[in-house]
Amino acid sequence: MSGGYRQQPGASRGTTRKDGKRVAGKQKFPPPGSGGSHPNMAPRDLDWIPESVGGNEPQPAGSHIHDRYRTGTSVGKPRALVDSHAKVTGQAWYGDDVRLPNEIIGKILRSPHHYAKIKSIDTSKVEALPGVLAVATGQDAPNTFGVLPVTKDEHAMAVEKVRHVGDLVACVAAIDEATAMEALNLFEIEWEVLEPVFDPKKGLEDQDEPIHWRGKYHVGKTNVQKRVFQEFGDRSLVEEPSASSHGKWRMEGVHHGFTEPHAVVAHWDPNGRLQLYTPQQVPHYAHRALSTVLEVPMHQINVIRTFVGGGFGGKSDPFPHEMCAAILARKAGRPVRINFSREEVYWINRGRHPSHIEVKMTADEDARISGFDIDALIDGGGFASFGHVTSYYNGVLATAPYELGSFHYTGARVWTNKPASGAMRGHGAVNTRCAVEVGLDEMAEQLEVDPIDLRLANLLPPHSRTISGFRITSNGMREALERVRKGSNWDQKFRQMPLGKGIGIGCGFFISGSGLPIHWDPNRFPHATVHMQIDMDGGVTVHTGAADIGQGSTTAVAQVVSEVLALPIEMIHVRSHESDTSPVDLGSYSSRVTFMNANAAIRAALDIREKLLNAAWEMIGYHPDVLVLNDRRIYYKHDPAVGVSYLEALHKAQEDKGSLIASGAYRSPPMGGVHKGAAAGLAPAYSFSAYVAEVDVDVETGLISCTDVWAAHDCGKALNPLAVEGQIIGSCHMGLGQVLSEKMVYGRTGHLQNPNLLEYKIPSIHEMPNVTPIIVESSDPEGPFGAKEAGEGPLLPILPAVVNAVYDAIGVRIRELPLTPDVVWKAVSAKTKSLDGIDSTDLPAPRLTHGPLQATLVERGNEHKARDKKRQRSEDTSAYVNGVLFGFDPERPMEDQVEGWRTAVEPNPEQLAELGLAGKAWLKQEQRQMGGEQ
Amino acid sequence: MMLMPPFELHHPKSIEEACKMASSFMELGESFDWVAGGTDLLPNYKWHINVKKHVISLAKISGTDTISMTEIGAMARLNAITESDDVHPLLSEAAAKVASSLIRNNATLGGNLCVDTRCFWFNQSEDWRRSIDWCHKEDCGTGSDCRVIPNQNTLCVATYQGDLAPSLMVLEGIIHLIGPSGSREIPAEEFFQLDGITRNVLEEGEFVLKVTFPENVSSRVGSYHKLRVRESWDFPEAGISAAWIPGDGSTLRVASTALESIPRLHLEQVAELSGEFNSNQIKSLSEAVMKSIKPVNNTTLPPRYRKAMVKVLAKRSLNQILEASE
Repeated sequence: MSGGYRQQPGASRGTTRKDGKRVAGKQKFPPPGSGGSHPNMAPRDLDWIPESVGGNEPQPAGSHIHDRYRTGTSVGKPRALVDSHAKVTGQAWYGDDVRLPNEIIGKILRSPHHYAKIKSIDTSKVEALPGVLAVATGQDAPNTFGVLPVTKDEHAMAVEKVRHVGDLVACVAAIDEATAMEALNLFEIEWEVLEPVFDPKKGLEDQDEPIHWRGKYHVGKTNVQKRVFQEFGDRSLVEEPSASSHGKWRMEGVHHGFTEPHAVVAHWDPNGRLQLYTPQQVPHYAHRALSTVLEVPMHQINVIRTFVGGGFGGKSDPFPHEMCAAILARKAGRPVRINFSREEVYWINRGRHPSHIEVKMTADEDARISGFDIDALIDGGGFASFGHVTSYYNGVLATAPYELGSFHYTGARVWTNKPASGAMRGHGAVNTRCAVEVGLDEMAEQLEVDPIDLRLANLLPPHSRTISGFRITSNGMREALERVRKGSNWDQKFRQMPLGKGIGIGCGFFISGSGLPIHWDPNRFPHATVHMQIDMDGGVTVHTGAADIGQGSTTAVAQVVSEVLALPIEMIHVRSHESDTSPVDLGSYSSRVTFMNANAAIRAALDIREKLLNAAWEMIGYHPDVLVLNDRRIYYKHDPAVGVSYLEALHKAQEDKGSLIASGAYRSPPMGGVHKGAAAGLAPAYSFSAYVAEVDVDVETGLISCTDVWAAHDCGKALNPLAVEGQIIGSCHMGLGQVLSEKMVYGRTGHLQNPNLLEYKIPSIHEMPNVTPIIVESSDPEGPFGAKEAGEGPLLPILPAVVNAVYDAIGVRIRELPLTPDVVWKAVSAKTKSLDGIDSTDLPAPRLTHGPLQATLVERGNEHKARDKKRQRSEDTSAYVNGVLFGFDPERPMEDQVEGWRTAVEPNPEQLAELGLAGKAWLKQEQRQMGGEQ
Repeated sequence: MMLMPPFELHHPKSIEEACKMASSFMELGESFDWVAGGTDLLPNYKWHINVKKHVISLAKISGTDTISMTEIGAMARLNAITESDDVHPLLSEAAAKVASSLIRNNATLGGNLCVDTRCFWFNQSEDWRRSIDWCHKEDCGTGSDCRVIPNQNTLCVATYQGDLAPSLMVLEGIIHLIGPSGSREIPAEEFFQLDGITRNVLEEGEFVLKVTFPENVSSRVGSYHKLRVRESWDFPEAGISAAWIPGDGSTLRVASTALESIPRLHLEQVAELSGEFNSNQIKSLSEAVMKSIKPVNNTTLPPRYRKAMVKVLAKRSLNQILEASE
């Protein structure tokens, strides 16, 4: 017999005392628990139990409220995702794998015009084609929908006008694909072609026929969908700076490039309920939108999330083709499948916004960052999608990790006649972050200091408040910077390598779950709910609406339940595919799932745990406080031989009740400011990251190859280090695509020129650098076992790290993304021309001689390091708000301390003249202010 | 999902049968395409570009995939050329740079030579092309204008992006054609013919049988430089091959590809060297080649950049063959 506990001698003399209590060490050895591959209980694994509760796991960032529930079972152990077997054996069922009996094929007729009114559609020839079973047009579904309740501007198919080439016009279902395709050519449509808008700058101007009309809230007659103004701090600080950077950026739109094209199957079952199979990140929003568009109550719709072959934000909107399939299936009385071609994927888009970003930043004589001034004009394409939020994120997510003297942001999102932009990994934060980090690099050069030291001396500490009111809890920024510096051998390389070789730094900051559930009041309904059920067999069934899109949310939920209940993960079965059985959940976006759903799962598991321990208490007479849960057994803390098996306790707990049921929910604490837009960017925790990238630049051709990346990400606590490293490496890949080669090319005529994976250049494995993932664990007080997000934040730093590395290599600052070879060549040519036409191979590589500020910064950084450690470990719990670095008292409102400290969400009249590109949106008035459409 | 349009696939077992098949289709007035590896033709078919009713495959004709220093069959797979020790190193170098390993498993020498010209107004789905009202290369009966250079309906400027052609030219390759009206031989540099629609001298029913090289080809030293965004599998955005018999400047040949609608051998620019070739001439020769090339805006990278890169690639190729000859 191996493992487990041996019976002590003397057991035969009876196992109960006269007073009825059990005798320690003399119990009948309990039967082993069921489940798992090993019949005997595994010894307690102290290496995975935190120091604070008596284990061996070091806790440099301090203890955590969930430490008491650590059983050493799953958390922190690298493991393959629970659905990986299905994937590697080809048995995972993606959208295109669903096959229902009798199904027919739907096809979508798409607009050949950028912008046109539909005067009439004649479908008679289509209907007459043999094999066609259903035809639908916009008239069949006039209700609008959209992912955000404030901007419902989409239809299943164009109702009055089409807004981009590829916009949906009509759809048809036929017995096979060839017939459906033939049918598409038989629609007779009369168009009235309108003047399209492609340039977002033009979108700021009045137009006869704006792409959408927002009634009394419409900004003039422009195509401005959303405008934002935010100003915090003392603007006088930015006058007379000792260093400044002013960059105007042009960033092309990029697409998620997920492997699986969209696919949907709709089936009205014999009871007249809609069963809709779709690879969705956010099944609940699709559920709501389907109900609105189809005019069917939500309880008569079951949204079945198939496996998702990559989402990255591109499968989080409710999509018109999902409506089309349902409409066609209803008409035809048969299941309808619609599969997208890659080109259709690009036409539905929702990728990152093409952006014009202008960043002015300044530093004072102590190299403190006195001001960020950001202007972001983003190109939304034909629909709103997540754009309302993106408009805020482009500014507000730049308010950390640095302490700022002032912050000024103007943003505008305009509609253009192009496929709609939306949310993509690193939503809204990526482009501005790149601009800001490159600006810091430039300021460091002017100040003659090391850019890492500049950052280290200007970081917000843990448990602080940003200038715009975000609540920072755990913060591993400093550790991330220190570790990439060391890992990359930065101090021996930066500004010291020969021409063509460069190294650069970039940081990141991202939300770990949006603080505001956009469809309901967070005070009345939780962000996430998880249901749990254990029947007699002892297996745990967990119901969650968290959509596993490959990121591993199912595994994360299974892991935390396994950890709390001390059960092998094979005994945890997560059911998350159907809206019929899943509790309502916001889905997989804004990096919320691990934080919120795992927290909810922990609560549900704790409920079950309590029931089990109470049952054990009844059985062995020891209070739950002195009971230990370990692998399928509950026992007395001071004598492990006194205990019951998990199954025994479970069956006891089930007496008179049947299966154990529990429900857990998560809601974020109240936080944030009260200004307009204060909720944008608000999150219960934030992730931090720092990357160092090393590049080779061919100065003659402009070709860049990124050779090495040291990638440190603070994810609070790596529940599954293997998955975290996977996310870091994957983020690097995706970010490298955006910085080096990926772009959606809109040509002279406004057409998307590269809607295919040959011309849309996603880096292949060959282009991937050697990535060294570094996990930083700052133990977030509110995260599940301390965890924060690791899915989106790790993408941010790779862009500026590469751009800064290119500067280090060739001494040319380029502010146009992607850095395709022609862009680099153009910049190099301009530089050589300015240097009297020298050969590009003779370019001077930039060098750094530390100035007097360097020592000051190092000293300040060291002081702050000590400060941060105390705050992180809660040895110092005093208030800290942005502004303390500038000498202000954190206990008093800034407005009372500084003359000129301002918090504003609309520009002053005198500011109007000096606003940037996006700021020009504020020159117009809304219709209601102009006396229009009341 | 892209649905492959229907076509009938034929598998002749011999060259004679293939020619007979072609001539019978010609007599019947039925349209057909040749297919070798299919890595160019079939993706285009999926896009519904120039779909023919019949496709005649050359795959089952034996003896057309020979590989030796002086002769390579049209059906020789590019990976076989890459891996062979028996071909000119320049050819295995150039073949190794074509697309990706997976594609090279299927792609052939003949197919690469006859690869269709490419243009981002043309290599698109049917829906996409409809939205621009088609283009000159495939106008679907509408008489559409060229989208690259509007207001000209005379030439198609789609870009030839084959990798092997310039190397065949600088190695003095001879292309052997065969068809219902007999066989003929033509120097590689004369095989290609303006414009992007005509592409080459192949008559209807004719196909490439093999490429042969002069006996002394092994004494040539060559180099091919290819410009592309992703090294892993992109088409060339510019390509320069150079080769010579070391010490004999009169044997120098330089050819370019992926810059215009046909690949070109740059005889004039080399002639200006008057038979001498040394490192002092590299700069002026590279510039002269660059000046003779006029790319247009129909591939991934802008034409101005591609043109400028001709100089860099030519310089690198020429330097390399000089260094290798030392």
